[in-house]
Amino acid sequence: MTTDTESSTTKTHSAEPAPPRRRIGFTGRMMAPGIALLAALTVLPFVTIVVMSFSEVHLLGGLSLDFAGLSNWARFFTDPDMGWFWLRTGLYFVLTLGLEMVLGVLLALCVWRLIRGRNLVLSMLLLPMFVAPVLVGLLGRFLVDPTIGLYSWVLEQLGYGGDVLGGTFSAFAAVVAMDVWEWTPLIALITLAGLTSVPLPLREAAALDGAGRWQTLRHIVLPSISNVLLVALLIRAMDAIRYFDIIWVTTNGGPANATKIVPVRLYETAFRFFDFGYAAVIGLAMLLASIVIARTFVRMLDRKGLAR
Amino acid sequence: MSVVDTADSRAASAPGGGTDDNRGGPAGTRGSRLSPLERTGTGTRVVIGVALALALLWTLVPLVWMLLSSFKPSEAINSADPQWLFDPTLRHYTGLFTGGNELLPYLWHSVAAAGGSAVLSVILGALAGYGLARSGMRGKRHLSFWIISTRMAPIAAVVLPLFLMFRQVGLIDTVPGLILAYLTFNLPFAIWLLNAFFADVPQALEESARVEGCTNWQAFRYVVLPLTKSGLVTTFVLCLVFAWNDYAFALVFSGPHSQTLPIAASQLVTQSGIDWGQLCAIGTFVVVPMMLAGLAVRRWLVTGLTLGAVTGE
Repeated sequence: MTTDTESSTTKTHSAEPAPPRRRIGFTGRMMAPGIALLAALTVLPFVTIVVMSFSEVHLLGGLSLDFAGLSNWARFFTDPDMGWFWLRTGLYFVLTLGLEMVLGVLLALCVWRLIRGRNLVLSMLLLPMFVAPVLVGLLGRFLVDPTIGLYSWVLEQLGYGGDVLGGTFSAFAAVVAMDVWEWTPLIALITLAGLTSVPLPLREAAALDGAGRWQTLRHIVLPSISNVLLVALLIRAMDAIRYFDIIWVTTNGGPANATKIVPVRLYETAFRFFDFGYAAVIGLAMLLASIVIARTFVRMLDRKGLAR
Repeated sequence: MSVVDTADSRAASAPGGGTDDNRGGPAGTRGSRLSPLERTGTGTRVVIGVALALALLWTLVPLVWMLLSSFKPSEAINSADPQWLFDPTLRHYTGLFTGGNELLPYLWHSVAAAGGSAVLSVILGALAGYGLARSGMRGKRHLSFWIISTRMAPIAAVVLPLFLMFRQVGLIDTVPGLILAYLTFNLPFAIWLLNAFFADVPQALEESARVEGCTNWQAFRYVVLPLTKSGLVTTFVLCLVFAWNDYAFALVFSGPHSQTLPIAASQLVTQSGIDWGQLCAIGTFVVVPMMLAGLAVRRWLVTGLTLGAVTGE
């Protein structure tokens, strides 16, 4: 990652003094401020987090770093709970992404069939996307509050009387549901864009050949939007790795670690226990995971000719 | 530009213009032209109607409940049975601006931090995005990948080193600090997205402008920029939404002099309980502007949120 930056920024600069090829110089100058700032905002923190991971960080009485060798790393690989955090993170992502993909595609197929009021319905369905995740969490807490929550009341009528965020299983289900509430519309929106671009003659031809609605869907429509679905999945996956606000304000990782995914663990390690060195190791591991996924992501899009 | 354009124009022109899009219409109006596929049976229509009704219920109930609760007297909120009928009150809203809960500073911090980061992102992103779109440099693909990968970095992992760096240079608890922090995710997003919009502008337009005597800069400023207005607005709105909705960065970097609205909302959660009425009022305050902004650029949302990956047919 670092080498990429260095080579590209030097190239940007070295292109400038060549007078006969002025256009490169111009584009270089256009790029310079943004790229330089981005480099400062990413390369420096990257170096910092690597240094932190080999240090013991003291914040009291001025910042100081003591070289701690591999102790943070050793702790990371021997921490008996760490495996569970990653496993839980994986489960959380698979569940949220899976539900969002399935529900989003179904929703898009329904909206697609709509002629009258399509714009209105779509607009209403999209609203959750613009709600701050922290408010999704707080609103979720309001709705499942054991004494006054609307959804708790509904659940009680259905025969479930417990405290939703108090049970390990129900708390996990609740944070998954909140994520699904917020982000299913994104998948639906992208899928709908794909659906409206399926050429009609293709569908007509299939129908003329005697294909039923289900067959057309299965063999014509879904294959032609598979690229779009891939984009939707990957975009959502990348964002799902980034955020953790909902869990942070609803359960804080509890009860009994039931919702403690890796970013939550990192956050509390750093800003509750002030163990910055260990947090840096967790952060680097997360960064590594996201780079691997990002690489796959760009490569897959490239292969489909979808990346610019 | 984006595929969603097609969706809009089709839906709008379906009765008159499109022979191709009359699926859900009453059977018989244009039935002869339709293939069997396009005729939706009553059963299917009922299923779709029910599914959409459920989806709308699932989507809207929490939002409507928040809006309603923000106008409810506290007794109605704290009742064990849901109250749909009540005497509306503005108490929770006025309560946000009176007494100990002075919301105005939070509002100002939010506007300044989110707005500042969005403006800077669009300016720097437009320059860099255009440069990237027109550059013939080697290693451009690596540069592009690096740019977009910074946008995908986990927030928790980014916050950690930035916290130490900001502490060293005194950027903790300042609005400029928040703006810089937000740039870590908004700037790569803006560069990448605007790059996609600029790549769609035919290069011949700038060539001819230059033949007419424009400098490179003038060709960009007076020919290309006006053509990408929708891209610039979309980028601005999305950057604004991302920054406005941020919680993780603000939680770490802000203090009394820079706390934003999401922090104000979360601070209503105290040991002694939560003032849900005020929370719903703040929530409405935070959410409504972003919804309006988001819906205003809905046509370009797909392009924006997929970073230009799903464009064209």
